Amino acid sequence: MNRLDKSTIICRCEEISYEEIEEVIGNGARTFDDIKRLTRCGMGPCQAKICTSLVAKVIHEETGKPLHEIPLPRMRMPLSPIKLETLATDSTSFSTVKSVLDEVELEDGKVR
Amino acid sequence: METDVLIIGAGPAGLAAALETASRGLAVILIDESSSLGGQLPQQTQLIRPLPSEYGPLRGFELAEKLINQLEDYPINYLLQHRVVGLYADGSVGVTDEENVFPVKAKKMIMATGAAERAVAFPKWTMPGIMTIGAAQTLINRDFVLPGNEAVIIGSSDFAMDVALQLMAVGVNVKGIVEEQPEVQASDNVKIEQVQQSGVPIYLNASIIEARGNGEVAEIDIEHTGTVLTEKVDLVCVDGGRSPILDLFYQLGCSFGYQEKLGGWIPQYNSNFQTDREDAFLAGNAAGITSQGAILLTGMVAGISVCEKLQAISHDEAQQIRGSLFKELEILEDKDIWESRIHHIERYANPKLKDQFIS
Amino acid sequence: MHIKDHPVLGKQLQEPVTIYFKDQPYQAYQQQTVAAALIANDIKKFGVSRKNIQDRGLFCSRGRCCSCYMTVNGEDHVRTCMTRVEEGMEIYPNLEDPEVRRDGNGD
Repeated sequence: MNRLDKSTIICRCEEISYEEIEEVIGNGARTFDDIKRLTRCGMGPCQAKICTSLVAKVIHEETGKPLHEIPLPRMRMPLSPIKLETLATDSTSFSTVKSVLDEVELEDGKVR
Repeated sequence: METDVLIIGAGPAGLAAALETASRGLAVILIDESSSLGGQLPQQTQLIRPLPSEYGPLRGFELAEKLINQLEDYPINYLLQHRVVGLYADGSVGVTDEENVFPVKAKKMIMATGAAERAVAFPKWTMPGIMTIGAAQTLINRDFVLPGNEAVIIGSSDFAMDVALQLMAVGVNVKGIVEEQPEVQASDNVKIEQVQQSGVPIYLNASIIEARGNGEVAEIDIEHTGTVLTEKVDLVCVDGGRSPILDLFYQLGCSFGYQEKLGGWIPQYNSNFQTDREDAFLAGNAAGITSQGAILLTGMVAGISVCEKLQAISHDEAQQIRGSLFKELEILEDKDIWESRIHHIERYANPKLKDQFIS
Repeated sequence: MHIKDHPVLGKQLQEPVTIYFKDQPYQAYQQQTVAAALIANDIKKFGVSRKNIQDRGLFCSRGRCCSCYMTVNGEDHVRTCMTRVEEGMEIYPNLEDPEVRRDGNGD
């Protein structure tokens, strides 16, 4: 087992150490989302893509829970980082916000 | 934008699925983040076998070329350098070309989004010079860049062995392979021997104490049989294994099952490689980590199943083709992986993890 | 170092491209990613982490980990492992949170 101590980072993006995660598990955190809400682990640009498996291992080590009983973290859109400018789209086409909120008829990617 | 079939991921599974669907007259959009087709296949310089009967043993980049050329005659809409960023409420897929986001509405989807490498943590693993084994392979075989001169590899899978040999072939001094288990994880004994005969020590029951460096990695401490070995390195390749990329399946509201041998959590699917979302099928490593030959076969099954659903072939013909594909899959695939896959499929009516998505 | 003659794939680096890192010119080749081109020139530190100011560089090379973030042609937080080099590209390390209010980001 590679050394896991307070200097071992688990979440690269938010720089959450093994020690911090161990602490919140000691305070009752049991799922990835619990740990995320208490430490910010998984809230960085990669959105838990890298730390999910590491955190699952830590939960398993600390609580004895088998890996198949440790649920997945909540995953949200966008699936990878995107500029607000891109998300807003060209005003001559249509707006992603508009088509999510309203019923919009689309023809070739343009609002009818 | 509308189509019959949207195939997400242009790796070997996506390409195989594209052939099955496009060759039977369906309108296909094939989308990939990369600027080229083939996924991880073009950077595999090793010989790949076993492959399905219609392919002899080929090197990865040769197989990729073959799969791409097979699609030449079909009017497939290739969307390269396009990413899927989410889903709309009406089931359309949100795609971006980095300028705009637009919806793509498909009658059926095949998600061949592949696998991601798992990280390995130890003190200072976040330093420059410490990267995944796949990243090291990408640098040498896709970008033609030397990632370092003195390397240590953490992990001993078949893939780690392949990359160790590839690194040595371009002049990298691989100083050791560190495996925390008591036995080598690779199953290809010929390859293991090749690595050992090249002078690379494989440390078993070994672990990393810490890495050190200023600005980039310079040294790494390995614990082995009670002693500490310090190696001067400028490259550390971590192999934590691979697991399916799940984000898109999660957004769709798919259920998941857990199979350790297949890479952990995988989307739940049936023997048609259909998820529990009516219009969403899957293929390749996304359906469970497996070998290249098996990846191709899963792509074919998903493609055939979509053809069946869209009535491009009859149910009977689909059953017949799927039957022979499954027979071949059982032969080609690692016994452990095949059995895990069957167990996983059997759980279709009662998946382990469901109702995960909350918008 | 660039691999000019690969043992299996041969001589693949055909068209040289000049990129600029911290205003200094470096040699790269068409089709290489920014991250790879910098590593070829022995530049492995791409930036620092936000909280503990720890060095960061390439990790996954798949566009997932965001460890390779750099400022490219004025755009911040570019995943350099997913971006191909272009002639004259201006690259700066990701040393701190970007200034949100500036001309390049609109009003």
